[in-house]
Amino acid sequence: MGADGIQLRDVTFRYPGGDEPVLTGASLTIEPGTFTAIVGGNGSGKTTLCKTFNGLIPHFFDGSLTGTISVCGTSTRESNVAALSRSVGYVFQDFENQLVQETVRDDVEFAPLNYGLDDYTARATEALEAVGLAHLDDRFIWELSGGQQHLVALAGVLAMDPTFIVIDEPAAQLDPQHARQTYETLRRLHEQQGKTIVVIEHHTEFVADHCEDIVLVSDGTVAWKEPVAVGLNRLDDLLTNDIHPPQVTSIAHEIGEVAGSLDGDRYPVTVDEGVRAFDAAFERRADGGAEPIANGGRSHRAADHCRDGSRAGDPLVMLDGVAHGYPTLREGYTTVLEDLSVTLHADDRVALVGANGAGKSTLLRLITGIESPDEGRVTVLGRDTNEARPEELADDTVYIHQNPEEMFVEDTVRKDVAYYLESRGAPDVDQRVDDVIEYLDLAALADRDGRLLSLGQQRRASLAIGLATDPTIVLLDEPTGSLDLQSRREVTAMLEKAESRVETVIVASHDLQLVAAWADRVIVLDEGGVVGDGPPGAVFGDTELLASTGLRQPQVVELGDRLGATRPVLTSDEMVRLVGHERNSNSRHRRDERAVRTERRSTHGDDT
Amino acid sequence: MSYLDALTDISVADVKVDLMRTAYDNDRALLNTFDPRVVLLWTVLFMIVPWLFYDPRPLVVMLAAAFVLAALSQVSKYLLALLVFGQVTNIGFFVVAVPFVGGLLSAVGYLSSNLGRLTSGDDGAVTEAVAIVVAATQSGVHTALTSQEVGIDAVGAVLPFFLKLSIISVVSLAVFSAMSPQKISKGMLRLGIPRQLTFAIAYGYRMMPLLVEEYHALINSFRLRSELPEKTGLLRWRYFAYLLVLSIKAFYPLIFNVAKRARVTVEAMETKGFSRSLADPQSRTLRTQELRVRPRDVSFVFGSIAFVAALWVVV
Repeated sequence: MGADGIQLRDVTFRYPGGDEPVLTGASLTIEPGTFTAIVGGNGSGKTTLCKTFNGLIPHFFDGSLTGTISVCGTSTRESNVAALSRSVGYVFQDFENQLVQETVRDDVEFAPLNYGLDDYTARATEALEAVGLAHLDDRFIWELSGGQQHLVALAGVLAMDPTFIVIDEPAAQLDPQHARQTYETLRRLHEQQGKTIVVIEHHTEFVADHCEDIVLVSDGTVAWKEPVAVGLNRLDDLLTNDIHPPQVTSIAHEIGEVAGSLDGDRYPVTVDEGVRAFDAAFERRADGGAEPIANGGRSHRAADHCRDGSRAGDPLVMLDGVAHGYPTLREGYTTVLEDLSVTLHADDRVALVGANGAGKSTLLRLITGIESPDEGRVTVLGRDTNEARPEELADDTVYIHQNPEEMFVEDTVRKDVAYYLESRGAPDVDQRVDDVIEYLDLAALADRDGRLLSLGQQRRASLAIGLATDPTIVLLDEPTGSLDLQSRREVTAMLEKAESRVETVIVASHDLQLVAAWADRVIVLDEGGVVGDGPPGAVFGDTELLASTGLRQPQVVELGDRLGATRPVLTSDEMVRLVGHERNSNSRHRRDERAVRTERRSTHGDDT
Repeated sequence: MSYLDALTDISVADVKVDLMRTAYDNDRALLNTFDPRVVLLWTVLFMIVPWLFYDPRPLVVMLAAAFVLAALSQVSKYLLALLVFGQVTNIGFFVVAVPFVGGLLSAVGYLSSNLGRLTSGDDGAVTEAVAIVVAATQSGVHTALTSQEVGIDAVGAVLPFFLKLSIISVVSLAVFSAMSPQKISKGMLRLGIPRQLTFAIAYGYRMMPLLVEEYHALINSFRLRSELPEKTGLLRWRYFAYLLVLSIKAFYPLIFNVAKRARVTVEAMETKGFSRSLADPQSRTLRTQELRVRPRDVSFVFGSIAFVAALWVVV
């Protein structure tokens, strides 16, 4: 095996200046023609591992490296990055910095030209067609959406016709539908062109649907490599490494080996398998589970809020006939929001959802007053944003940026948290800063530069910056983008914590699992207007609405639907109650045990 | 208050798009249709030509021609306005600031040389003091007026100089905003300029919009966490001073973030074979093989030389 694949034997690597090795004795074989997912917690060394494939380690980062790495039988030590890159293409996690030329075609032609290949035009055309961007080849890179830029980066790699393609987090910044399209493109490349694909991925649901093998990286070493269905069944390993198993698999695990497994053999990992595994248990419940959902509690509260405006809290934010847009280079004036009216109340947990570019961030920025509506009126706590400056509105409102880097303006987290208080001459600044830092468990990071933290830590720090302002309204833009399980738990816990201090939290997110588990009011934006507004149950039950707006049901909702539930099932716990019911009634003892467990879990609010 | 806000709000987005148009929308720009090497050489030529003239009149004609070229090259009106503003205030400096400072100095001088008379300290001191101040003011105003005449004369003397600088600025604005960065870098590459430099130009164009966006986001971040000055002051100067301070502060995090981006870019360049291409003549040939000097390029150069020659003869 393996002379024509990528082989790592006992690889240990320490970055120059680093104290601890990032890789410790990692061994791995990637066979040609496979589709492999590499999973691992934030900071486990997955990216470092992949950078050994194309020689960036050790040729670019000349730390200390031991062990052997070979690609197609050639030792990477004896080769160089340029030569290795002809067989191993790499799409970086922050791919936008990988695009170095001005227009799409120039960027795709860049590598072939560097290698002096005569047929660079034909290569670029072919690569652009393969990713479906041929129609945009004369566009400027900065005119494209994030999803399109990612495809350009992929095309730039394809133009060199490599045998192996490594992609670091292809779905992190995309809405669910675009993420799926990216995976479809990868699947096509894999099946039709026989490319060997390696993805670094946090979302095991994509792994289950598209990949063949899964590699778990843990503490700088390769823990194991298994076929996907087997690997995703090693739940304990995944959970201890902060990997979120697919919702279907965790549900099956909760239910137990008999009722939850597929042919009594292993847990299902995709929705299709889940339907097959749970069907029998579900079928026997005649009422399709209306009752347990009603007892779920959360949906009840949502209904109280949203169905009847008079029973909701005081209106805090009112948008009335709002239109907003911006001038563009080629398309003239582009309208993002058009005649949008919506009122947000105190104690709402509002989630704004919609495809990339639907106007979620614009809506949040309008509430901060950073941007003013072209038409209509935005009223925040009784103040018209046209009449007040953003600095004044910031007395009560805080906006946590999608990209936490933009929030760090000082050289330590502590100074950043204190900035607002100090600039306003607030009393007891030190005390209040200490409070917030302790509240969000940031003491260890307080004296570090926020911009050098990991993304999960950055999110936490950015929320601290926000909470220090003692806001009434918190606006969060994509709080869970590219976070692993542990960090996402932190975000969810942060939301809960934030709620005890503020009146309302508004989250714009692609993370529909988070939305389903946390929100009690979901507002769907599409083409500049509100196309859906209601409790999560109602919105996620409306498959047509979701499909037309570039969204997808969270896995558990889809599973419930396919099993024929009469109401949308929003969380894993609800599904466990539904499917597990039959078996539990057969075994009274186990049932009591389960009830206690479920109770404990739900009080922790830990159901995402 | 709100109309001023509306003005500032609109202009930020509009200025951005206008600058983008200047830098990126080259399809219809006249200068972009010529061979880049020819245009670069032409530019060098016209950096020198204005210095051969001393009479303001042909210089004015040339400046007008440069503005026509700028218009055909879709140079941002904001950039042109900034340029004109700079030149006008430069000239204004001679007419206003020089006499003002001169007058002030002369008044202070008069005051200090006559203060000795006050030390006697008798009853007439107050009237005497008033008289001294009045005389000092008169002397100041007199100096100011005479030096203003001198200033105006000086403007006459430096006008050709300003015209020459303006011609060069407008021409180079027109050239560099009209030619697409690929064309500029291809032209330079063919002229033998090292690849590292030509790449840096193209890369700068690629990153500029990103940096503009990031800078804007950082300023907004600052605004949402700062306090407005309580009193806005005359003509709201405190408010504008506050914005100015923020816009300077926002540069520091911007530079930091740029450095962070550059790390990934350098890695990516390595995987795209950039260092390898530096030593590969084939790569250079492929990049510049479509450059051709055609008759219209030649006629453009000779046409403009003929235009200058005609100015030389006629005026």
